[in-house]
Amino acid sequence: MYGGDEVSAIVVDLGSHTCKAGYAGEDAPKAVFPSVLGSIDEMEVDDADNSDKNSGTASDSKSKSKRKLYVGTQDLGFRRDHMEVLSPVKDGIVADWDMVENIWDHALRKCLLIDPKEHPMLLAEPCSNTQQQREKTAEIMFEKYQVPALFLAKNAVLTSFASGRATSLVVDCGGGSTTVAPVHDGYVLQKAVATSPIGGDFLTDCLLKSLEDKGISIKPRYAFKRKEIRAGEFQIVDLDFPNTTESYKLYSQRVIVGDIKECVCRAPDTPYDDTSYSNIPMTPYELPDGQTIEIGADRFKIPDVLFNPSLVQTIPGMESSVETASSARGLPQMVIESINKCDVDIRRELFSGILLSGGTASMQQLKERLEKDLLEETPQAARVKVLSSGNATERRFSVWIGGSILASLGSFQQMWFSKSEFEEHGASYIQRKCP
Amino acid sequence: MEAVVVDAGTKLLKAGFAVPDQPPSMVIPTQMKRVPEDESLTDASLLENVTVDPVVRGFIRDWDAMEDLLRHVLYTGLGWEIGNEGQILFADPLATPKAVREQLVQLMFEKFNISGFYASEQAVLSLYAVGRISGCTVDIGHGKLDIASVIEGAVQHISSRRFEVGGLDLTNLFAKELQKSNPLVNLSISDVEKLKERYACSAEDDLSYEKMQKACPEELHTLPDGQVIKIGRERYTVGEALFQPSILGLEAHGIVEQLVRCISTVSTENHRQLLENTVLCGGTASMTGFEDRFQKEALVSSSAIRPSLVKPPEYMPDNLANYSAWVGGAILAKVVFPQNQHVTKADYDETGPSIVHRKCF
Repeated sequence: MYGGDEVSAIVVDLGSHTCKAGYAGEDAPKAVFPSVLGSIDEMEVDDADNSDKNSGTASDSKSKSKRKLYVGTQDLGFRRDHMEVLSPVKDGIVADWDMVENIWDHALRKCLLIDPKEHPMLLAEPCSNTQQQREKTAEIMFEKYQVPALFLAKNAVLTSFASGRATSLVVDCGGGSTTVAPVHDGYVLQKAVATSPIGGDFLTDCLLKSLEDKGISIKPRYAFKRKEIRAGEFQIVDLDFPNTTESYKLYSQRVIVGDIKECVCRAPDTPYDDTSYSNIPMTPYELPDGQTIEIGADRFKIPDVLFNPSLVQTIPGMESSVETASSARGLPQMVIESINKCDVDIRRELFSGILLSGGTASMQQLKERLEKDLLEETPQAARVKVLSSGNATERRFSVWIGGSILASLGSFQQMWFSKSEFEEHGASYIQRKCP
Repeated sequence: MEAVVVDAGTKLLKAGFAVPDQPPSMVIPTQMKRVPEDESLTDASLLENVTVDPVVRGFIRDWDAMEDLLRHVLYTGLGWEIGNEGQILFADPLATPKAVREQLVQLMFEKFNISGFYASEQAVLSLYAVGRISGCTVDIGHGKLDIASVIEGAVQHISSRRFEVGGLDLTNLFAKELQKSNPLVNLSISDVEKLKERYACSAEDDLSYEKMQKACPEELHTLPDGQVIKIGRERYTVGEALFQPSILGLEAHGIVEQLVRCISTVSTENHRQLLENTVLCGGTASMTGFEDRFQKEALVSSSAIRPSLVKPPEYMPDNLANYSAWVGGAILAKVVFPQNQHVTKADYDETGPSIVHRKCF
């Protein structure tokens, strides 16, 4: 139907934290950037002018607020007055399609420099995507971007393909949430999917609050400047930008704390408790402004929130999230729950093929700890094996890599949802073509 | 016969046989002029100067013009004979779309009938020219600025960035500034280009830049057509533009800050290796005082590990920055072609243009 070596497909994985895009057949995405946007509401500036001019009629007629959106690491990295950082996805549902279009535009036209008309598009979607969202995606792709063919694949299925298995239990620890989904023969068993709101971003927030409580202030990169006062001696000068929004400041701080988390945090071998971890040696980390901070017990405490969400109560400053955390279950419990909802016959296969994917899953020792916890709670007969690829890049992009493999398979070429089929049957046909 | 290495830039095309410790034998402008074939056209159209730019912002856009240019370079300039074409190595800019690469391969094998082809990214080649396989390159060309990080010969696309700013924008800025202070003088872009290469320089740091803006000694320069212009503080404005892009009207950080932020997306264990092996290349990087200013800015950048520039080896020719990608290509050509790792005519005939993605990376 659609095929060939000559024109390669594009694989796009829009996650809650980063968007990954690139050509199918390659081993890593070419474009990786945050999936949040900076937005400046042009209305604000106009209102100020109008109140000065005192013209009532002109300001009333403007009902729709114009806003300028900034996408991509370079644009987001530059501090602008009144720029708010917004995310297009809320609780897994797309709230603002305009923003999503902007992200796709940036990925395809600015980063990959391609024309969507010439490449089939493979999009990765969350396991719990609604029919309405899929139809809207298909509409936008075919009508606005005029792609020749489209396919929507579930994240869990792509991770499964990336490791070469048709049946496995995929534990996707991403930025916004953690999802446990069993895949059987390439299809996700929807009734057994378990999600939890605790993801990488949540852990970053915990670490940020914990550091602030200890008196360490994280200065965002735009808030200071290094000046040379004498030859060879440097001093940090604070810069003040009063018009910077809170959301931007928080975003910049999260970028820095996220890096601390990736470098320093490790999953503890045993469940965390204050007494046994009070005497461990501190690890130093140098912040961008030159300040060196020491991180001790937090190294192990923060990752343990994945296994024991009630730990959040002990972190000062996180009171607002205690409710979300208390309803969430720890990672081993989610795995057991999910497997128990599946048919008895496949449970053994699922236990011996548990795959880890996602940015948070590249945390050190996570695999060993999960295996150990599961062995304690499962029946004796089951053989538990947690697999994760050794390479950190592969774990972080396993969904994208699975998409890259799938889109370059010869046998997949007949499964694309083509433009002519869309025109003939409409967007609802996507349910039949992309199960 | 030696392999030919070609680096087609937006302004200059560097080509020559692969002899690594010498500069390329042909360095010619890429811009071409279209000459009307039909002699019977009226005088008015003959006066039109239709300039054609086959390479725009680093990428080949006009394929017919490129074919003519390459024909001139290979057959007339380097002395290839029809029927006895050799092997060729091309240097691609960062983020070249797959389609552009495939078209280049197609052009070379079908129109020129070459026997072997290889393409590599300019960033990797510039590092080879200074004897490294890992590091960062800051390539400031005429049409674009690439910041790329390379680890063990592979470009890390995730932490590499391309900006649509280059020597061309600096020339336009210079022309604008000179026009403001010399309103009666008629300047053409090619004149301004030469003036920029001669006079533009970077101030030592942002404080001395401010001082220059207030008071600067002026020089008088006589243009080829006899007009005299005064050049004063504009020279420093041009040199400052890359460190403070707000001068060009762009909302972005200066070049050193961009480098540091790009590298911060790579995992920490590689930071030291990347930042301490930074290579500046490209025509614009040879501006007076640019390197020193870069080093100074590097010391005050917001990073724990400061970028430090690599010194090219002594056996390399001077002015390596202008054609480091070409020299790196010459080094690579000596490795790739004898070991048959390139795309041969047989491979191309069998698989088609997409073979380039599998064999050249």
